[in-house]
Amino acid sequence: MNFGFNEEQKSLGETVAQQLADFPALTAPDPVAGHDLEAWTALAGLGLFSLIIPEEHGGVGLPLVDIALAIEALGAGLAPPIVASTLIAADVIARHGSDALKAQFLSRIAAGELRIAIATLEAGQGYDTDHVQTVFGGGGVTGTKILVADARQADAFLVLVRCDGRPALALIQRAARGVSLRPHADIDPSSGLCELVLDAAAVAGDALISHKQPDEAVSRLLDVAATVYAGMEIGIAARMLETAVDYARTRVQFGQPIGAFQAIKHRCADMAVAVEAGRSAAYYAFWAVSEDAPDRSRASSMAKAYCGEVARDACNEAIQIHGGMGFTWELGLHRFLRRAKVLEHGFGNHAWHYERVIAATLAGGRPASDVQRDAA
Amino acid sequence: MDFNYTPEEVRFRQDLRQWLENALPQGWGETVFEPEDEDDRAMFRLDWERKLHSGGWSGINWPKEYGGRGATLIERAIFAEEMARVRAPEGLNIIGHNLAGTTILRHGSEAQKKRFLPKIISSEEVWCQGFSEPNAGSDLASVRTRAERRGDKFIVNGQKIWTSYAQYSQWCFALVRTDPDAPKHRGLSFLLIDMSSPGISIRPLRQISGESEFNETFFDDVEVPVENIVGDINDGWRIAMTTLAYERGPEDALGRQIRFKQELDKLVETAETSSRGGGALIDDPIVRQKLARSITEVEIMRLNAVRTFSKYLNGEERGPDASVIKLYWSHAAQNMYESAMDILGPTAPIAAPDPLSAAGGRFQLSYLQSKAFTIYSGSSEIQRNIIGERMLGLPR
Repeated sequence: MNFGFNEEQKSLGETVAQQLADFPALTAPDPVAGHDLEAWTALAGLGLFSLIIPEEHGGVGLPLVDIALAIEALGAGLAPPIVASTLIAADVIARHGSDALKAQFLSRIAAGELRIAIATLEAGQGYDTDHVQTVFGGGGVTGTKILVADARQADAFLVLVRCDGRPALALIQRAARGVSLRPHADIDPSSGLCELVLDAAAVAGDALISHKQPDEAVSRLLDVAATVYAGMEIGIAARMLETAVDYARTRVQFGQPIGAFQAIKHRCADMAVAVEAGRSAAYYAFWAVSEDAPDRSRASSMAKAYCGEVARDACNEAIQIHGGMGFTWELGLHRFLRRAKVLEHGFGNHAWHYERVIAATLAGGRPASDVQRDAA
Repeated sequence: MDFNYTPEEVRFRQDLRQWLENALPQGWGETVFEPEDEDDRAMFRLDWERKLHSGGWSGINWPKEYGGRGATLIERAIFAEEMARVRAPEGLNIIGHNLAGTTILRHGSEAQKKRFLPKIISSEEVWCQGFSEPNAGSDLASVRTRAERRGDKFIVNGQKIWTSYAQYSQWCFALVRTDPDAPKHRGLSFLLIDMSSPGISIRPLRQISGESEFNETFFDDVEVPVENIVGDINDGWRIAMTTLAYERGPEDALGRQIRFKQELDKLVETAETSSRGGGALIDDPIVRQKLARSITEVEIMRLNAVRTFSKYLNGEERGPDASVIKLYWSHAAQNMYESAMDILGPTAPIAAPDPLSAAGGRFQLSYLQSKAFTIYSGSSEIQRNIIGERMLGLPR
């Protein structure tokens, strides 16, 4: 057992961070919706999208945990959401897609030529997938999804639908007949959130991700998305900690750097502890999801619930420590606050995930270590 | 990163599990529990520790030459998991194992290692810690207990406080002032003191839980042979910092996590089996949220410890990460007991031995005990200073 990252994994995280830093518009005070497909192109140039694609489809075949630090960097660098959604969709397609679907999509994803947005939520519904109203039937797909991040940058949508009375996932092309978008007015314009209107949207015969076990594909999507979002949340939290500490070291009041005051120092210390705790939860979830461990859902829900709270608190603290400057538009801390709030409510907020944690615990969902040792 | 275990690690777990099956009393944790009386409980824990030693399960990751098992830190983590699984009793010589032993192993002379380590591992000798004084709490370096060199002896005079288990201890390690004229951090030494020496007296202190685990310990012309100094004279502060790093570190946290996990399991079970207003307590969404949060935090305690073990195994030095670990578990555990009282609702104030107390009144006692977590082995405020200054680089 080893709960540490190797040099390749660390170096990938650093490379992604550096690459994103080359696009200062990503974190500039003025958010731009759907800007910077240049950032996408740069990340594709690094081969980011090929890493978790199986080798037979032109990828490298790495487990998701190998790109955990890269995903943390996506969060810290406020990467366009389409990057994460494409990686999440790639995992689900690779695990649960039909051979035809995999052949059609995976090599294009690996080459960085295909962008996928994810559409799960509907107005009037919570985060539960059981009540999905968008119907997949003979006449195509009909329904309205909300809060689809970077929908206008997508070539295709991974959509939660109801099929034969059960929740399922379908891939719908952006260019298909009956597909239209309406941008939301929202708290984080850089997330490019849209309403996706499907009016008897045309789908190919093999658009359904998993015909036989749709519930497993849906569950995988929720767990992978929760984990990836937790990773990005902890990336934001760590960046807010670093920003706050830098400021506390240099900002002078009452004749000394404010970081010398315990009122500030102790807040920074608490943030650091929270970030490390969140990392423990997130990194374990990446491993559990990669291994399809028995406690995969529980681990990913723990990570999403906990890291969402950590990111929220870190953004709040960073603004507070920066004082009046923290509240200015031009300093740009609001960009992280806004993005963190979108991530916090994407794929289940903390209350929803904590409910999954207690439900899994009562159902006997135990950490993989327990199961392994019982098998020992 | 890999949470899978090697064949050696699996084997270690199997061997331990097999041993444990026969070692614990019949019905342990179900119908058989630790004695209620504090002294009886202490002796029960000491017996358990000695039993672990007789089975070769003491000093897990200490070198074999001093009586240890020579196992890895990961095996140490497996050991903790297995102890949690069978709800094993705690030990009594925790300070000996976690603090005295680790410090002597790191800074002691070869003669000291040979003399002291085997008897710590076997729990033949129980240890207590003489650091804090009435006027040296968070400001530990201002200790006033004097040790004057006279020939081949130090003569020790002064008072220590919060000396847990002093009443059961054969030995005490103490931070004492050997040079009153030097700057306060540079006049300290680290002494090993035989508790049976003439001139030592102990007065129990009653804690808010009603227990008397800790004491005031008085030293009145106590003679300590000079060979019982660890490290050089006036170099005690550096050595004490090692002790504190272990006191706050992942080994300690993992041991505690075992107990928190057991109590949390009991709390979940209590919520499942209790009713309120005609419904099951566990169906209350607020109860579920509180439980889930504590389940998450107690799991993170374990992950934090294992992650830090991996850092050490991968060659990183021990540093302020011990403070991160301690600050995290102490507050998470306090929150857990606060939640336990919330969840119990109207019966929360009913304690043992009232027949209406939930789960034998354990949560009320633990709740009171938990108030110490954020104070001992360096208060949260001290941990935050360490993290702020040494990890984040903020000015002093």
